[in-house]
Amino acid sequence: MVVVENTPKVHNLVVCTLCSCYPWSVLGLPPVWYKSAPYRSRAVIEPRGVLREFGLELPDDVEVRVWDSTAELRYLVLPERPAGTENLTEEELAALVTRDAMIGVAKVVPPQPEGKT
Amino acid sequence: MNGIHDMGGMQDMGPIRYEKNAPVFHAPWEGRSFVLNLAASAWGRWNIDARRYQIELIPPADYLRMSYYERWTERLVELLVKTGLVTREEIESGKPAPGSPKTPPPLTAEKVRVFSSERNARRDVPVHPRFTVGHRVRARNMNPTGHTRLPRYARGKLGTVHLDHGVYVFPDTNAHFLGEKPQHVYSVRFAARELWGDQAAPQDSVYVDMWDDYLEPA
Repeated sequence: MVVVENTPKVHNLVVCTLCSCYPWSVLGLPPVWYKSAPYRSRAVIEPRGVLREFGLELPDDVEVRVWDSTAELRYLVLPERPAGTENLTEEELAALVTRDAMIGVAKVVPPQPEGKT
Repeated sequence: MNGIHDMGGMQDMGPIRYEKNAPVFHAPWEGRSFVLNLAASAWGRWNIDARRYQIELIPPADYLRMSYYERWTERLVELLVKTGLVTREEIESGKPAPGSPKTPPPLTAEKVRVFSSERNARRDVPVHPRFTVGHRVRARNMNPTGHTRLPRYARGKLGTVHLDHGVYVFPDTNAHFLGEKPQHVYSVRFAARELWGDQAAPQDSVYVDMWDDYLEPA
């Protein structure tokens, strides 16, 4: 398994253009959209547009790295730690991490203040 | 094979349909197809590359029309028939032919473990790597009619070796039972502009895992 780290300047995205390779042992079976033609076809040619469809707009100065899982290596994104989480425990941080963030189509969102929706 | 499965870089496939709180399987038959595929593979009549190739043999129009697990089911039927484990008649009738031999299944509940294609395809044999990290390489321009894991969008393109993953079974021969031909697999970085031209952002890139045989020095 290869883990690729997101930083304020680098955003990683995982795809399998040829079939549906995915880190089963860590994330379970992939969601339908990950295996679908729209995602597989466009993630490599138009990653910023794909991310926009997921509601993630990346600034121009961020470097996008797409990982096409063409061999038996499996890729996992280590999401960027969100601001304002300095006092959270490992357990609380782990609870914020989503499957989508580990594929690279979402960021980890800091916990919302109490009473706000 | 330049099939529909090799879809990296295609456009106009429609919007990505995100489903919130999606179940792992959308119908019981999907789960059944999934485990039947894995359980039947335990007979050892085929390998993972032959499995992938069998999906690639589904005609393009059917491939796009079928759901993911419909493809898995189609693939399983074809492999079972091809390798003589069942006959087409048995599939049609859903019943074993009278007098057909019975053997204990090779996969039992206690043998089931987390599936790891990474572990299964890695080979601990000394093979000389033709390239090292930092090497400029060109992906070969090749169009085999059999199985390959070299996507069309990368063929003929210039890249840089980013990582050497070690030695793995070569799918192009293994899928056709022509030997494992173990060789190094590299992560090769291609600048997005090398692949897609000026429409891509200058700093973006695509990393493709490439077997040694897919590359030539640049």
